[in-house]
Amino acid sequence: MTGSRGEDPWEQLRSLPKGQDIEVTDAEGRRWVGTVIPHHEFSGDRILQIKLESGYNVGLRIGPGVSYRLRSPSRSTPPPPEPPSTDRPAAPERESVTLLTTGGTIASRVDYETGGVRPVKTESELLEFYPDLDADGPVHALPVLDRLSENIVPEDWAVLAEAVRGSFAAGSRGVVIAHGTDTLGFTAAALAYLLPRLPGPVALVGAQRSPDRPSSDGRSNLQAAVRLARSRELGEVVVVMHAGLSDDRFAIHRGTRVRKMHSTRRDAFRSPTDGPLGYVDANTVHWVRPPRAPHHGPPTVDGPLDPSGALLWFYPGLSPTRAEAFVQGHRGIVLAGTGLGHIAESHLDWIRRAVDRGTVVAMTTQCLAGAVDPYVYATGRDLVRAGVTYLGDLLPETAYVKLLWALGHEHAAEGVRKRLLTPTADDLSERRRPEEFE
Amino acid sequence: MKAGLEVHQQLRTGKLFCRCPCEFSETVTGTFVRRLIAAGGEDRSIDPAARFQASRDLLFRYEVTPSSCLVEADEEPPRPLDPEALETALIVSRMLGARVVDEIEVMRKIVVDGSNTSGFQRTALIAVDGALEVDGRRIPIDSISLEEDAARKTAEAPGEVTYRLDRLGIPLLEIATAPQITSGREARAVAEEIGALLRATDRVRRGIGSIREDLNVSAEGGRRIEIKGVQELRWIEQYVETEVERQQLLLGIRDTLRSRGATAPSGAAAVLTDLFESVMEGPLAPRGGRARLVFGMALPGFGGLLKSPPGSSERLGRELADHARAFGLAGILHSDELPGYGIDRDRVTQVRSRLKLAPDDAFVLLADTSEARARAVAQSIAQRAAQAIEGIPGETRDPLPEGRTRYSRPIPGRHRMYPETDIPPIPIDVADLARADALRPERPSELRGRLAREYGLPNDLVRQLVAAGEASRFELLAKRGHTATLVARLLTQDVPSIEGDPASTTVEVTTDALDAVLRASERGTFAKEGIPAVLRELALGARDVATAAERAGLSGLSDDEFEGIVREVVERNRALVHERGTEAFQPLMGDVMKVVRGRRDGQEVAQRLRRAIERARSEPSA
Repeated sequence: MTGSRGEDPWEQLRSLPKGQDIEVTDAEGRRWVGTVIPHHEFSGDRILQIKLESGYNVGLRIGPGVSYRLRSPSRSTPPPPEPPSTDRPAAPERESVTLLTTGGTIASRVDYETGGVRPVKTESELLEFYPDLDADGPVHALPVLDRLSENIVPEDWAVLAEAVRGSFAAGSRGVVIAHGTDTLGFTAAALAYLLPRLPGPVALVGAQRSPDRPSSDGRSNLQAAVRLARSRELGEVVVVMHAGLSDDRFAIHRGTRVRKMHSTRRDAFRSPTDGPLGYVDANTVHWVRPPRAPHHGPPTVDGPLDPSGALLWFYPGLSPTRAEAFVQGHRGIVLAGTGLGHIAESHLDWIRRAVDRGTVVAMTTQCLAGAVDPYVYATGRDLVRAGVTYLGDLLPETAYVKLLWALGHEHAAEGVRKRLLTPTADDLSERRRPEEFE
Repeated sequence: MKAGLEVHQQLRTGKLFCRCPCEFSETVTGTFVRRLIAAGGEDRSIDPAARFQASRDLLFRYEVTPSSCLVEADEEPPRPLDPEALETALIVSRMLGARVVDEIEVMRKIVVDGSNTSGFQRTALIAVDGALEVDGRRIPIDSISLEEDAARKTAEAPGEVTYRLDRLGIPLLEIATAPQITSGREARAVAEEIGALLRATDRVRRGIGSIREDLNVSAEGGRRIEIKGVQELRWIEQYVETEVERQQLLLGIRDTLRSRGATAPSGAAAVLTDLFESVMEGPLAPRGGRARLVFGMALPGFGGLLKSPPGSSERLGRELADHARAFGLAGILHSDELPGYGIDRDRVTQVRSRLKLAPDDAFVLLADTSEARARAVAQSIAQRAAQAIEGIPGETRDPLPEGRTRYSRPIPGRHRMYPETDIPPIPIDVADLARADALRPERPSELRGRLAREYGLPNDLVRQLVAAGEASRFELLAKRGHTATLVARLLTQDVPSIEGDPASTTVEVTTDALDAVLRASERGTFAKEGIPAVLRELALGARDVATAAERAGLSGLSDDEFEGIVREVVERNRALVHERGTEAFQPLMGDVMKVVRGRRDGQEVAQRLRRAIERARSEPSA
C-alpha cells in the first residue's frame, strides 16, 4: 500500500496499527523512516507520531502532498519479554510477607496509549519491577484492587481489611499494602480502626515516582516496608515512606496520624502533630516512641463502616445555606474549622438544626497540627453550646474516617460522639511536646 | 576513516525544564543520596548501557545549590520547555537549513550513571537534514536536538559519586553531523565552524565546558566508536588520529587471534591468593588494610597480544584493565607485563601451571575484597577479550588528556529512549518558523566577509572574532568610534585571557567596561598597552576605571612627572649619550619604558626621549 502524491493520506495513516514500520515522504520530499506509535492524547490535529531509528519520537503533519510506504507487514508491538519467573521454591508460610496491591504509582507503568501512567495488572508484572524484594524471605503478592487511589471508596477499605485479616489467618508474618499516595492516609486510618488487634505489622507504602523511572522511590520504599513487615515488635497499621529526599532513610508513621503534605516530594508523608513513630534505615528499625505490641491471636475486622458521613472544609465566604444543603442526608459531618476549631457565626443556626435532627457535627482544625479547643474564644463556646463535638488533635481526614467507623457501630448520635472522643488506635493524644512539630 | 561530530552547546537562556538560572554555584545548601535502577523502556527491554551502569550499584550524592530546585532533585515534574531555548534551537535549525519537525516530543534517554537525578536525560529532536559549508565542502547535519545538561561530578570515592545540581537542566543544543568527515583536521574545522555559528546567535554560554564535542570515529574496516565530552577543540585532531591507530591495532590483533584459532575465554577465575601474600605493590596490593582475594584467569591464545606493539602507545591490556576500572578496581596485571610489580619469574611460572596454560596463552590477575565483584570483573574482562576475536567492540570512550581515550560503557541503543509523559507534545507552526527566521543572525561566512569589508580587518583577525562570537560587541564598540583593530585584538586575545584567568573564574568583561576603558585610554589617562591590565582590575571588582588604573599601577603620572622621568634617565646616562649620540636612544628607551609602560604610549615616549637626548648633546659635558 502506497499513498500517492496529491492525495491526503491522513485517514489511512491514522488507522495504521501501532508498531507498523513506515516511510513517510513529506511535502518537501524528505523521507522519514520509523515506526508508528500511538497518538498522544495531547498531540495536535493531523499529526502522525513515529519513532525514528534513532529512538526519538517526532510528530509529522499529514495533509495533501504527503505520501508513505509501509516497510514490512504490519506487526503489533513485540510481546514483552517473559518476566522473570515468579515460581519460587516453597517457603515456610510462617516467614512470608504478604504484599497486597491496590494500584497507584507504586504499581504503575508508563502507558504509551495515553501518555500517562497506568496500574500494573499482575503480580508477575510487579515482581518484574521489584525483583529483589524477597531477598530476606518470601514475599507473596496478591492483587486486591486495581485503581489509582483517588478512585478508592470506603467500601474498598473494608475489602482491604478483610484481605489483611485473611493474610494473617493464612500465616503471614506481616502485610505490606502498595497503595496510591493520594488517599493513602485515609486508607491507613480506616485500616487502623477496622483492625484493632493485629498479630503483626501492616505497612502501607506508595511511590511518588513511577517504577519505570530509574529514580523511582517505589523500590526503596517497598524494601523498607517489607523489612518493617518482618518486625516482631509491632502490631499496628503504619505508613512507610521516604523520611527525606534521600533513598536511605524511611519514616514510620502511625495510620491515624499521617497525611500527604506535599504533592510531589518523596517525603510527602508527615505526621503533622507528633512526628513519625520511628524510622527504617539500611539495616535497622528504630523507634521514636514505643510501637503497639503485636496481639496474640487471630485478627478480627471491627466493621462495618457507614458511608453516611462527610467532611467539610470551612473557608471565609462559605454560604450557610449551601453548607446546610451539603449536610442534608448525612448522619454526621466533620468540619475542618479554622484555628482552634472555629467557623463563622452565621453557620450557628444550621448547626443547631442539624444537631437537633440527630446529626453528629464534629470539629477539627485545618491547621492540621495541634488540637482544637472551644473554650478560648466566644465562637468556640457558642459552637459547643450548639452541640458541636471537639475532636482534640484528630486530623480532619482521620476524623472523617473515624466518623464512618463510629456511624457503622452506633445508631444513636450520643454513641457516635462517645466513640469519636474515645482514643482508638493511638489517634488522640493529651500531650504534645515541643519537638514534635518541626 | 570516517568521523562524525556531535557538538553540545550550553545556552544562555533559562534552564530547560525549570525556571532556575543557568549559573554555576560554589554554595552548597544541602545534600541527599540516591540509588538508580535500570528500568525497562517502551517494550520493557533494558538498554545494555543502562544495565551496565546499574550493575555497578553506586550510591549517588547530590549537592543542592541556589541554582537548583525540586525539578533538579527529581522531586517535582518538569515545567514546560523554556521558550527562549526552543526559539534558539529553531533559529539554529533554520541557519543550518534543516527541516524542523511538526511536533516536538520530549524523550527520556536512560542514563543511570547518576549524572541525572531522574535516571534519564530529557531530550527532543528539533530538526533533521541540514548542512554546513566548511572550507568549501558541504558537511551534512543529521540532527539538531535540544536536551538538558547533566549534573557535574564534584567528587568520586569507591562506591560513591558526588554530583552538583547547578549544571543539571542547563539547555544543551546538540548538532550532529553525518559521519562524512574524513580527517582529524577537518573534524576540528567543522567543530570550529559550528561553534562560530552557535555564538553568532549571541544566546550561548561561554567559557570552559560550555561547549563539548562527542566524536564518532571508525577506521577503515573498523567500527563506530563514540568519544564523549571533548572540551578542547585543539585536541580533536589528536583524538581522531589516536582512535584510528587503536582500531588498526585491534584489527591486527583480531587477525592474529583468528590465525591462532583462539576461542572466547570462559571467564572462570581461580583463587590464587596464596601465591601473592607477600605482594605489597601494584594493582594486587591490599588496599585500605582489608583482606583481598587474588584471582587469575586464562586468556587462551592471547599470549604476546596484550602489550603495545613497537611504535604504538595503544595496547589490548589497557582495554581489559579499563573494564576492571569501570567496576572501581585499581587495575589488573597481565602476563605480557610480568615478571614485574613485585612478582618474580617463579611466581609467573606457578600461575601458568595453576591455570594450566599453553605457551600461546595469556593470563590476567586481579584483586578485590569482594569475591562477587571480582568474579563479575573477570566476566567483564573475558567478554572484552572475546570481542577482540570479533574485532572492535562498539563502545563509548572517555577522553583523557593528551589525546588518549578510555573505555567508559557500551554504546547505548534505541531501547534507552522513551517518551517524557510529563510534557505534552509541542506543535511547531509556520509562525514559529517565521519568527525564528526574523531573529536569524548572519551566517559566519557572511559575517566574516562583511567585517573584513566594512572595517578593513585582516582575515585571521576576522576569523578569530567570529569564532569567539564577539562580532556583535566588536561592531558596537567600533561604531562608537574606537579603533577597529584595537577592539578586535582586545576581544579575541585580552578578554578571553582575563575571563579565563584562574583567579577570576566568574568574571566577565562587560561591553560597558570595554567602552569606558577605551575612552579613558583615548583621553590619554593611560596608554593603549595598559588597557588589558585596567580591564582585568575592573573585571576583578574595581569600582571604576580610575580605581582600576590605580590598582594596575597606571595612574598618577602627570606630564611633569613624565618629563622628569625622561630627564632623569638621560641625566644618569649622560656619558653614554655623549659617547654614542643618537645611538644611545635604544638602551635609554628601554629604561624609560620600564618605568612608564602602560602609562604612556610608546610613540610619545620615543618623541620625548629623542628631544631630551638632543638637548643633552647640545649641552656641554661636565
